[in-house]
Amino acid sequence: MFRSGARGGSEPGPAAEALRLVKVTRTYGTAESAVTALDGVTLSLGRGTFTAVMGPSGSGKSTLLQCAAGLDRPDSGMVWVDGTELTGGGEAELTKFRRGRVGFVFQQYNLLETLTVAQNTVLPLKLAGRRVDRKRAREILTAVGLGDRLGHRPDQLSGGQRQRVAIARALVTEPRVIFADEPTGALDTRSARQVMLLLQEAVRVHGRTVVMVTHDPVAASYADSVVFLADGRLAGRMDHPTPDAVAERLAHLGDDVPAGV
Amino acid sequence: MLVLALRSIRRRPGRFVATLLSAFLGAAIIMTFNSMHDTAGQAGVDSVSSQTLGTAAGVVGGYGTLLVFFAVASTLTVNVRQRTAELELLRCSGATPAQIKRMVVGEAVAVALVGAALAVGPAMLGGRALLDMFQNSGQVAGSVEYSFGPIALLSGVDITLLASAGAAFLAVRRVTRRGRERAGAKRFLACAALVTGAAGACSTFLFSASDEALMAPPAYGAILLSVGFALLSPRLLKGVLNRLPLRGASGWLAVRNLRERADHLAGILVSLILFTAVSTATVTMQAVESDAVEASGLVKSVDAKNLETLNLTVVGIIAVFVCVMLVNSLYAATTYRSREFGQQRLAGATPGQVLGVVGVEGVIMTLTGVFFGTVAALAGVVPFTVVRTDAVLPDQFPGVWLAMVAVSAAVTLGTSLATARRVLRTPAVGAVALAA
Repeated sequence: MFRSGARGGSEPGPAAEALRLVKVTRTYGTAESAVTALDGVTLSLGRGTFTAVMGPSGSGKSTLLQCAAGLDRPDSGMVWVDGTELTGGGEAELTKFRRGRVGFVFQQYNLLETLTVAQNTVLPLKLAGRRVDRKRAREILTAVGLGDRLGHRPDQLSGGQRQRVAIARALVTEPRVIFADEPTGALDTRSARQVMLLLQEAVRVHGRTVVMVTHDPVAASYADSVVFLADGRLAGRMDHPTPDAVAERLAHLGDDVPAGV
Repeated sequence: MLVLALRSIRRRPGRFVATLLSAFLGAAIIMTFNSMHDTAGQAGVDSVSSQTLGTAAGVVGGYGTLLVFFAVASTLTVNVRQRTAELELLRCSGATPAQIKRMVVGEAVAVALVGAALAVGPAMLGGRALLDMFQNSGQVAGSVEYSFGPIALLSGVDITLLASAGAAFLAVRRVTRRGRERAGAKRFLACAALVTGAAGACSTFLFSASDEALMAPPAYGAILLSVGFALLSPRLLKGVLNRLPLRGASGWLAVRNLRERADHLAGILVSLILFTAVSTATVTMQAVESDAVEASGLVKSVDAKNLETLNLTVVGIIAVFVCVMLVNSLYAATTYRSREFGQQRLAGATPGQVLGVVGVEGVIMTLTGVFFGTVAALAGVVPFTVVRTDAVLPDQFPGVWLAMVAVSAAVTLGTSLATARRVLRTPAVGAVALAA
């Protein structure tokens, strides 16, 4: 179902490119009410990088993330994750593809209310039928500062704590790429800072690749580089972003003639 | 508020299908049996026929009212619970609790009126068929003409409307008051029902085999026991869950889900326990009774035949209603979990695994419900059989039991799995965002 890409070859090690999108197009709706969310986006992100995707509402940020992560299927174009091409197939196949390759952090945390912090963290391993290393899970939860909350349920935690559980859950399967969709969108500035530092650590210390969609220039400034998106097309890229530079660029995004990068 | 209520029904007819169905079935049954009053009240009907018709109408009419009430209450409670967000929005826009109450009650009455109106035709056909049945078995003289008159019509409409309005009132009150559960009172009621039920079942031994009323104590004993178990069902479910050694991701999740949601699932367990107990006990005892009469070479009296017809009819009605309630509450409960399913899928569950979770949950619920229903049924069946025939367990029991279990399992698993399949058609990301 999933062909190995040009770079992946047959070697088992990680590919040099964590993520590659080629002319990805995604349209919602039909006929006159059709909305083009992604319009031929081509993008390549190296292994061990931290990239923020920014743009105004409706610019296709979330669609880009969903197509790249195998949650949505592009109408045309190709997607490689960790050197393996994401092709068609049913939801079950896409799910199996995502396991172990991709981790998620969402704005709404998406923790299961019926499970404790520890159980939520090991859930992806359980579902994938992998061995559950409770010691490792506890280490990760301790690293995100929740070592004393293992038996709590999500509704007993603050938003920042829930998001840290979500990060621990994303790290536990040791995925190549972590996709984060507005991870600080529902958090206060202090919690947001903690979450961003954890994501940064995942890249710097553990060598993961993080792709993060955000509205917040401060959050984006933690990334190595920012990719701007407008009307479903790439609209520039910025390395070593600062909050001010990002905000400035965002404010004038509409002025530019959208051009592929 | 009434305008809002009517508009709310027109915009979302799907939500009221279950309530409409309960009201329709209830009204149809009440009208069918009450038309026997009309038939019996005609000039020139002999006294035996008139008595048969009157008993049938009285017994089933009473049952019917209770059942309409429970069925409509169950569907409306689910309906109101699903609309918490909408009701909250109304409250924030300045609706007083009394206005919200009027709206929900108004909707229920409107739906009940439609249900009752639709029920008139089927009730006439049903009543005619019922009279034919009585005439064929010789319980009613062949010369009696069928009549669908004011008693049937008025009682059907009135009871359906009253039961719906009352049920809606209680349902919305439960939501606006925000569950201050009186656990103590519930436990007391449950224990009272269990003790009385056990006493009833035991008192069977005080009767002799030939007593006409022999079937009553064990039947009521079984019903009361099942009510007691039903009231205790959340605790029973938790007890069962603690003893389950389930492996695999789906089983693991299912057990944890059930433990957390045990209180919400009480309604489903109640239906399962009541259905298994009442139907198994009544049908088995009736079969034992018929065989015993046949073996003794006697001819059944009109009263005995009456009783048989009534028993089977009542069981049939209960079965249909409980099925409607089961399907409705399972459908609603499963639809409601769309977001949870989405979260499971985003955490790496394949659709098959999600269905696996739902399936395991259904199996555990069915087993729990059937187990306690069977205990209650046996508590009625065994004393009856011992007194009536000297055996302990009648030969008819396994067959009847299997049939009832098959129905329970098919309804429970069929509804939850079919609904879950449908729910899973929404992409995971969309399902998570819907309720967020």
